[in-house]
Amino acid sequence: MKKVLLVLPSYISSDEALDLAVRRAREDKAALVALYLIAAGAADDVFDAFSDIGFIGDRPSSQVSEAMMKEYRQRGYEELGKVQIRAMEEGVAFEPLMEAGEPVEKVLSAIEGMGITTAVLVKRKERAILRYFQRSYADEVAEKAPCEVIVFTGGQGPIKEDKKDVKEVDRGRA
Amino acid sequence: MSVKIDTRPIWVLLGLKALRPLFFVTLAASFLYILGMTTPEGLTPEGQKAIAVFAVCLVLWVTNVIPLAITSILAIVLVPFLGVLSTRETYALFGNEAVFFILGAFILAGAVMGSGLSTRIALYMLSRFGSSPKKLVLAIFLLSAALSFFMSEHAVAAMLFPIVLEISKSLGIRPGRSNYGKLLFLALAWGCVIGGIATFLGGARVPLAVGILNEMTGQTIGFLDYAVAVFPLVVILLILGFIILMRSFPMDIQGVEGAAEALGKKLKALGKVRYTEYAVGVVMLATVLAWMFLGRRLGLSSIALTSVVFLFVLKLVRWKDIEEYVNWGIILMYGGAIILGSSLHKSGAAEWMVNGMVGSWATSPWSVILVFSLLALFLTEGMSNAAVIAVLLPASIAIADKLALDPALVTFAIAVPAGLAFMFPMSTPANALAASSNYISMRDMMRAGVIVNVLAWVLFNLVAAFWWPLIGMGY
Repeated sequence: MKKVLLVLPSYISSDEALDLAVRRAREDKAALVALYLIAAGAADDVFDAFSDIGFIGDRPSSQVSEAMMKEYRQRGYEELGKVQIRAMEEGVAFEPLMEAGEPVEKVLSAIEGMGITTAVLVKRKERAILRYFQRSYADEVAEKAPCEVIVFTGGQGPIKEDKKDVKEVDRGRA
Repeated sequence: MSVKIDTRPIWVLLGLKALRPLFFVTLAASFLYILGMTTPEGLTPEGQKAIAVFAVCLVLWVTNVIPLAITSILAIVLVPFLGVLSTRETYALFGNEAVFFILGAFILAGAVMGSGLSTRIALYMLSRFGSSPKKLVLAIFLLSAALSFFMSEHAVAAMLFPIVLEISKSLGIRPGRSNYGKLLFLALAWGCVIGGIATFLGGARVPLAVGILNEMTGQTIGFLDYAVAVFPLVVILLILGFIILMRSFPMDIQGVEGAAEALGKKLKALGKVRYTEYAVGVVMLATVLAWMFLGRRLGLSSIALTSVVFLFVLKLVRWKDIEEYVNWGIILMYGGAIILGSSLHKSGAAEWMVNGMVGSWATSPWSVILVFSLLALFLTEGMSNAAVIAVLLPASIAIADKLALDPALVTFAIAVPAGLAFMFPMSTPANALAASSNYISMRDMMRAGVIVNVLAWVLFNLVAAFWWPLIGMGY
């Protein structure tokens, strides 16, 4: 059975990506897998800011981290719940996933482990000048994934194939 | 099936890989270049070495490539190694009173947090006064500020953050979409920032500034003197800050019943007030009173450390717990900053830099206060406030000497604005926390923060011009 993966990062959401993933799953008679990503560094960044500047100790910092991770997980359940409702409305089989850790690694292992045929990703809108110096997890996944990858930029449509620094290469369908 | 191939130029890819080593090689080369230069006229060889160390530390503090405390260790190593100060003199600066005051204050704050007293006060105040949406925001704002009068603003932010998250959840606020969510988290961040400048206890920057002042001039600033000097600024900023908050993010919820329920549950779960909480509260109160009225006679650090001893005598804390609440990096960070400041001053480098670079505009006391307060306010948005003080204070004290201006005034002009960071998440942990909640975006923070930043600078200078002369601190 075909599977469509919708990746939901904790810091950005896209209704267009959700619409496309559900529509694609329905058209391809595929199951929809929604993966909510809790970025590994989300709470750690704040923890580091506290402990690096040196004003408070380990206990308050870890309490902050815990509170934040709990918050992210709760948001994850809410987001996955929304996707589940949409999937039920469209009569699409649904499977939720929630992972904390390095985004590229988690998405690729989900793609490979679950036999995903299409992955729908969302990334932040990036400034042209920064594109040379930093890459989003979505670009990296698109580069390494062994399946079709559709990338949405937050609040916009799927990325066109006329970007200067990426090219579509046909690997042939299995 | 498709895959995207990275076709960025090879030099970009290699450059990205080599960025960190390249940075350190460039930094080392710049350091050696400054050391190897012909010594400029009017500057001693020791002064030139001190400037080289200062330049390296400045770059590392601004970029945060390595932890701040490690940058300080580098200063501690380089200063005696290059012969700017003797080894004995360098390490003796670690025994500075400011370092021990900071340590004592943090242990006391750790005891207050560890006993649960601060959480109980916070929950009680919020459930008591947060009966409507507007009152709840005001309660968080004022509570953050009031607690920051007595303990580190960062510790206050860390303690209140989970509570504010709980409140947001109980109200069903949507992160990033709701104005009320933005209000709650900005009230927390701004309250901590404004309250943090009110006393020596809000952050370690003021004791550090007083420590450097004392090392360089022998002068000091009393606990109460400082609080009285900044009191009007704190009050006006709290009033105007709240008005700006309300104007920037109009409220979009009707009631806060859910929050009241959540707070009530949490407060109930704490149970009755325990002996430890009472006792820690009494020790903390006695300490603050002693700082206010006996500080000059007994010394702030002696009072702080005496209180710490009392905490252990009364069995109110255990060393194991205290260790978890105190970040020992502060000793290195502040010790290093004081050593760097002293080396610039004693080698004559600070005076030389002032004469060469800023002497032209520093023609009157008010221009010095205006410019240094603006510099401190600007720099603190991008680097640690302790680093701002270590960077600006030696030069400003040298200017004060030149203009026969009381060095305590320029210490105020740097130490106070250095704590007023409203614009960026990286400026202060309180802002970082607010932004990481995702309830408020960086753009929101900047949009509202820039107004308060400008306002804070104007107000600070008005207070300096009109309030300070009234309390015998005119310039």
